[in-house]
Formats: sequence, structure tokens, C-alpha cells
Amino acid sequence: MNLNYSDEQNMLREQVLKFCETNYDFIDREKILESDSGFSKDNWQQFAELGWLAVPFKEENGGFNFGPVELTVLFEEFGKALVVEPYLSSVVMSGTIIENSNHKNKSSIIEKIISGEHQISVAYAEPNIGYKFFDCYASTSVNNNILSLNGTKSLVLNAGNASQFIVLAKHDGLSALIMIDAEVDGLSIQSFKTIDGQTCGELTFENVSIDTDSIIASGVDAEALFNKMMDLSILCISAEAVGAMNASYMKTVQYTKEREQFSQPISNFQVLQHRMVDMFIETELTKSLLIKATLQLDSNDPNAENTISALKVQVGKAGRLIGQNAVQLHGGMGVSNEMSIGHYLKRFTAIDSMFGNTQYHINKYQTNQ
Amino acid sequence: MVGPVIYTFGTQEQKDRFLPDILNFDTWWCQGYSEPGSGSDLASLKTKAVLDGDQYIVNGSKTWTTLAQNADWIFCLVRTETTQKKQEGISFLLIDMNTPGIEVKPIITIDGDHEVNSVFFTDVKVPADQLIGEEGKGWTYAKFLLAHERFGIAGVPVVKVQIDRLKNLTAEYNDADLNRKIAELEIDLEALEFTELRTLAAIAEGGHPGAESSILKIRGTEIQQRLTELYVEAAGQYILPYEGPDGFESNRTPSGPEYASPSVAQYLNYRKTSIYGGSNEIQKNIIAKAILGV
Repeated sequence: MNLNYSDEQNMLREQVLKFCETNYDFIDREKILESDSGFSKDNWQQFAELGWLAVPFKEENGGFNFGPVELTVLFEEFGKALVVEPYLSSVVMSGTIIENSNHKNKSSIIEKIISGEHQISVAYAEPNIGYKFFDCYASTSVNNNILSLNGTKSLVLNAGNASQFIVLAKHDGLSALIMIDAEVDGLSIQSFKTIDGQTCGELTFENVSIDTDSIIASGVDAEALFNKMMDLSILCISAEAVGAMNASYMKTVQYTKEREQFSQPISNFQVLQHRMVDMFIETELTKSLLIKATLQLDSNDPNAENTISALKVQVGKAGRLIGQNAVQLHGGMGVSNEMSIGHYLKRFTAIDSMFGNTQYHINKYQTNQ
Repeated sequence: MVGPVIYTFGTQEQKDRFLPDILNFDTWWCQGYSEPGSGSDLASLKTKAVLDGDQYIVNGSKTWTTLAQNADWIFCLVRTETTQKKQEGISFLLIDMNTPGIEVKPIITIDGDHEVNSVFFTDVKVPADQLIGEEGKGWTYAKFLLAHERFGIAGVPVVKVQIDRLKNLTAEYNDADLNRKIAELEIDLEALEFTELRTLAAIAEGGHPGAESSILKIRGTEIQQRLTELYVEAAGQYILPYEGPDGFESNRTPSGPEYASPSVAQYLNYRKTSIYGGSNEIQKNIIAKAILGV
């Protein structure tokens, strides 16, 4: 079993690492969080210039034809620096759906994603359906020969900056993915800051008229495509979590070596050493499941879906343990908003809540056995 | 916290001066214990008080001072003497927050709230009759106070209310996994509550809360933190939006259950409980040393 990264993959990692070291220290990040859009347009343009926005797309659509491995490399480094740019929503989520849909203009849309010109978000959650995304209430109907969409979509990542949305809704009683312009009449958007400093929005559709061309997938195809997107998204945020775990335990080790109490560095105390060892062990175990899931997704292994659930559970549990202990070992400094360490805990909490939390995926894993 | 110290170690004059206002909620007190360099190793504190005639001149700083921005008074551990054994040079001073030379600066915590502060003392003049007990015996009073503090921190009544609230909020889901976790928490709470009652019974017979109160602090904060985790778990993905479009003051609320967004603030906020009042690691050291004798 060869688990080594290729030279190309290592170069990508180096590149992201360098970018984050130069452009993404904690203070840079704070400024980005305080901005109106909630991300840096300059950074986004640099992502485009460096080719990162093209990573997962097929060559025929102007991409690099890279797969899950390269995406996890990117996201691991993003996780270390707590990058907030909307790569997940625009490139991974929307990109996966558009590229595999029957949208007639998909090449030109992907081109605009790759160039950084357009950001697109997927609207899948709703106020009252929990993680059962296909049980949605948003639906199309025909009034006076006009096809229109009504309903509410919640927790839409980066909603305030998206020029288009891919909406999961019912059409003729079946699941459908519908592409809608952000500017369209009848759509109102309310933006919120998220717990980890990013942004999301609530979309309300009131008799938004659509044409049948904008339905880019329907029925079982739509659900299969949506699930494919979910699996890849879980993989990406899991990679991000692994990066954040790595950073959390390393920053904690560093801090305990510097912080002195009882006339010695607190890293001398065995109880803290063991706690940090636990953090390290959980990071490595998570990395193992991440690699397993990545390889399975890459090879279209039928077990991938189950491994993704296992990974999401491990990410949820390890993220909680590592995030909480990192804060604990930093003492009061850990709960101070001016230190980065508490922001990792926030990100772990957000990641656990997305696409099915720990308990949801334990149950899913159990059902699939 | 300070009430028992005053009524146990204070002079009659101090009791008459401070206790009625505490009982009537007329004065608010904050706690001047931790310093930037003295957290778990509290006895290494450096804030200095020098006796000058009938007053002490205080210089130094305190940190993580809860609600100092609202407090009328602060009770402070100060160093009145540099001694071989660091615990011996500590004294317990009561200081009016309006005294010139005191500056309060906010520290924003990870839940976005302003609850704690840094408090700076520059040549603050404190009348000597605001010293509790004897100079140099402050560590004894400090430990006495901490034992009482741990009782409050255990938070049994609050947890009971919050568990009931969670049950009501989530009753409609009929979620077996969640209900099992809530039941486990209630069982742990029963054990904690009766442990607290045993300690109270001993006090009623004339004893003082001793190292056993560390059990209350450790298990009480663990239960509180697990409870906040259950709220977050129950709210699922709806915890994601945090602030409204106009910040916390917004009337426009995100979708999902109403308790979702406060849940995550509470979860983040409650990480402090295993750190403050002597971290849970320190509490275990206390039990190991004072009870197990190792």
C-alpha cells in the first residue's frame, strides 16, 4: 500500500502552507471576519491565480482533473490556518453538482467559478427537517402556466456573496436541483454570521418563476448527485478538521512549554503530557480514517459511504476532545477571543453540526451495516 | 464568596459595615485572585500592598475578574511581604472599586461576551481597616473562600432546571439517543447532589467544607459542560448562525429551534468552568494530597 503523496501533491501543500503563513495569521483573519463580505476578495483572486479554484474540475471544463486526494491536501492546510474563504460552498459543493449535472451551459459557469468571478452556493437545509434534506418543503408549482418556486432554505453558506444558488426542492413530487439567480424577483436573503465567524443566509422564495432549463437534475439522479456532493463535502471538512487538530495540539504543546507555574513549564506535569498525547493520538486516528475514505472515494469503492460516516463520527468526537483540551490547557487564555485556540474549538463545533452530526452518522453507520 | 470570609474572620466593625449591604444586594463584589502570571499557581501572586501609615498602597494587576465592570467592591489577595514560603506573605484586602488608580479593561471571551476583565492597580490607597484578619494570613482566608466557592460552582439547582428545560424543548423529537444521554446525566447529577448533601450535613454539625468540596467542583463542572454539549447536539445544524444581521441586538432570528443559537454561546462560555475556581486538574491535586496523602 503506497500512501505517499506525489511530488505534485506535495508542491500543492507547500504552496498553500506558504500562502497561509504569509497572508493568514490570526490578525489578518480577524480583519477578514470583520469585513462586510466575511471573506477576502484579494485572497479569492489569489486562489484563482494559483489555480486552486480549478483543482477538482475536469480538464474539458478548464480544471486540473484532480480528485479527492488533492482536495484533502488543500483543506488540511486551510484547517491549520482556519481559512474562511468560501471554497467549500462554491468550488466543492456547487462545483460538484454543476459539473455532474445536465446544465446546458455548465462549461461557462465552471469557467466563472475557476476565474473567481462567481461564487455559487447550494441551498439544501430547511427550518424543520433536520438532516433529512430530501424531505424538503420547498417545491415548484404551476400557476397560470408559469412554473414557480416557493419555500424557505436555511443555513446557506456564503449566501450573501453568491450570484447563483442551487436549490434542493420538490418538483413533480420528486427531488430536484434547481439553479436560480440571486437577483431574481421573489427571492429574499437574510445573512447571518456563523458561530465560527463565517456567514450563512436564509433564503425565502415567494413565487419565484423558473424555466425548466434551470432544473439541472431531477429524481433519483438529483438525489444521487446530491449524495455524491455530500460525501465529498464531508471529506473536505474532515480534512480541514484534521488540519485544525494538528494545529491545536501543536499550539498547545508550544504553549505548555512556555507557560510557567510552580516555577516550571507546565509541560513538565504528567497529567498535561498525557492529555496532549491523547490529542495527538486522536489526530492520527482521524487522519487514518480520512486517508481511508479519500482512497475509497477516489476509486468509487461501494464502501465509501460507510467510511465517510465513520470518518464524520471520528471527526466529531476527536474535534470535541482536542478542541476542549486545547482550551483547557491554555487556561484562561483558551477562552479569550484574542487567542486563536478557542477559534479552533468553534470550527470543530461548526464542522460537527454540518451534514449530519456525530449521533446522526453513528445511526447511519449502524443502519448501513 | 466574600460573605463567609467576612463573617468568619472579619472584625465586628467590618461585619457591620459590609454584611448588611451584601444581604440586601446593595453592593456587588468581584474577586481579585488570578493574575497574568498566577493562575493555577495562585500563591505566586505579585500584586503588592505596602503599609504606609494607616493605609496600604496597592500596585499590580488582576485578571479574569468576573463582572468587575459592574462591581462596587473587589476582594483582593495581595502580597504584603516577600517571604521564603510564598503563601506566607499574602494578605486579604477589601477595596472600593471607585478608589482612584483602579482601571478595568474588558476581555472578550470566545462566546463573544464581556464577562471578565483585567483590573489594574496604580498607587491605589486602601484604608488599613479594610484588611481582613491578620496581615500575612491571607492564604488561609483565601483557601477558606475557595472551599465555599466550590459549593456554588457545583451548580446542582441550575443544572436541574436546565435539564428539565432541555427535556421540554426536545420532547417532541422523541429522540432515543438524546433521551438516554439526558438520563445518564440525571443519574450523575443524583450522585453529585447527594454528595453535596453529605458535605452540607457535615457542615451543619460544625465542620467546614474541606478537600471533599473539590469533588463537587470537578463533577459539577463536568456535568454542566456535558449538559451544554447536549443542548448543542439537540440543536444539530441549527447552531450554525450565531449573530443576527445586526449583531446580537437583532430582532431577526435565524431559522431552527429558538434555543439553538444561545446553546452554542453557552457551550463555549461553559468551557471556563473547568478552568476557573482552581482548574479541575488542580482540584485533583488537592484531593490527591489532602485526602489520599500521596
